[in-house]
Amino acid sequence: MSTALALRQVTKRYGRGAKALDGMTFSIPTGAIAGFVGPNGAGKTTTFSVVCGFLSPDEGEVDVLGRGPFVAGEFKGQLGVLPQDAELPDRHTPVELLAHLGRLQGMARTEARREADRLVELVRLGDRRHARIATLSHGMRRRVAVASALCGSPPLVLLDEPLAGLDPAQAYSLRDNLASLRGEQTLVVSSHNLGEIERLCDWIVMVRDGRCLREGPVDEVTGAAAVSRWELGPGELALEPLRRALPDATIEREGSVLVVRSSGRDEGAPDAVAAAVMRCLVEAGVPLRGLSRGVGLERRFLDDE
Amino acid sequence: MTDVALVAWFELFRAVRTWRAVALLVLYGVASAGAAYLFAEFIGLLENAMADQLGVARTETPGAMMSDLLDSQQLIEVLTAMTGSGDLARQLLDILLPALFFLWLGFLLVPFFAASASAECIATDTRTRAIRFELLRTSRIELVLGRFVGQLLLTALASATSAVVMWGVTMWAMTGVPAGALAGWLAYYALRTWAFAVPFVGVGVATSQLTTSSAWARVMAIGATAGSWVAYGFARWLEDDRAPVVADLLLQLLPQGWIRDMWSPGAGWLASAVACGALGLGALAVGYLRFHRRDL
Repeated sequence: MSTALALRQVTKRYGRGAKALDGMTFSIPTGAIAGFVGPNGAGKTTTFSVVCGFLSPDEGEVDVLGRGPFVAGEFKGQLGVLPQDAELPDRHTPVELLAHLGRLQGMARTEARREADRLVELVRLGDRRHARIATLSHGMRRRVAVASALCGSPPLVLLDEPLAGLDPAQAYSLRDNLASLRGEQTLVVSSHNLGEIERLCDWIVMVRDGRCLREGPVDEVTGAAAVSRWELGPGELALEPLRRALPDATIEREGSVLVVRSSGRDEGAPDAVAAAVMRCLVEAGVPLRGLSRGVGLERRFLDDE
Repeated sequence: MTDVALVAWFELFRAVRTWRAVALLVLYGVASAGAAYLFAEFIGLLENAMADQLGVARTETPGAMMSDLLDSQQLIEVLTAMTGSGDLARQLLDILLPALFFLWLGFLLVPFFAASASAECIATDTRTRAIRFELLRTSRIELVLGRFVGQLLLTALASATSAVVMWGVTMWAMTGVPAGALAGWLAYYALRTWAFAVPFVGVGVATSQLTTSSAWARVMAIGATAGSWVAYGFARWLEDDRAPVVADLLLQLLPQGWIRDMWSPGAGWLASAVACGALGLGALAVGYLRFHRRDL
């Protein structure tokens, strides 16, 4: 599995203050949609800024797309970024700005114009394409900024709070757009909305105090591959047949809930658990009322606090 | 170089859509119009004084006695004060007086316009971090050079606007001035005032790289421009047998030190233009020393 982004022992201090990054180390596989989560002040925005070369790290190494640290002139069109706290140049229209950025990425004039038109449609701003950015609402500007990050379909895209300030319909639409890029581009999405992250991402990096606490596939981090909770309807379910079918799993009954804990190391384990439990439920004639897997990203996040 | 051109073009469009730049352009145009009108009135005064001396009828419209005025000692004295050289003043008598006034006015005003307008070009975007959208796609040096070139284009626009205004007011307020010839001289001299402005654009872009406050950048740029005139006066004072070596060195480093050649009726001004270009890049480099390694 190749790596799209890797940081090794990256440290960054602002002036003489505390370290914003304190040995930040993680890697994100190519093609993943990675959630980058952590509390305020954890170092998420600083990490993005270091990756993009806006900030110089005091120590450590950054590797972007296996080519070393990002250098703007040499990585044309390879990295897209939605900065969290950067205002858009607001004297231009969305199409003018996006076409300009496309040209700076090496596109020809007509190609850049075509890409700008595609992007304004993608973020549903087709009817405001010729309005000055200064006249757009906060949410619309945010969508223009997202469009700039996706300009030219760069292989690696960093999105700092992409859904912040968007109404539910816009957020849904954007999440849908981002999900459609799965496998084509590597996305790193920073957000406080852990529910959104869990729904969208297949890889998680959890950070706190400038360090990486956990990283890996979402199922692994949340324990979804290891723990499943089956809420059962009325009826008798004998656990012995299930224990025989899943000898490596721990199976318990907590009231109406059946809890199955497996090692989670075997990628096929969740499927085997599901198949065995369903077979037993059908044979016993016990209805299934609900199913949850793992502890949820929010619970895991709070446990680490 | 493609990126420099792209950033420059984008910067020019941004600048002309910024109310401050537009206000400065309008202000510069109004100043040029007012100055052209006052100059025509001044010529009228000189002509009438001469008419009184010769005992001939006074003129209603300035310019009617231009040929007599060109032979007068008074005019030589005025031109000597403007150019700083009596020999140069006599060489310039073949050139239309409003054009010479335009050049003199440009040397005085364009530096302040250039420094003030260009001081905003990086500081504001650094403060709002809007600069990141371009910096992700091009290097810092290409971005700075692009913004510098964009501001040079804006200054060229200001010089051209001033020339057009000067031509219009002169043709309205004076008589006997050949319209085509005046347009040609003004266009030619607009080029010279623009060349003289290059170091001041460099100063403005340099201060813009040093701070994230556009107001502070503008104060520094205007202060440096005003300071350069003070330093120029000091160098001229030193030149008179006090410290000629120091004066010579100072004059080499100041754009104003090249101003006499800028007045030259021949092609001698081109060497001064090249020197001004080098000074502009030098000023730019001073700002870049800070900008290239700062966190953005």
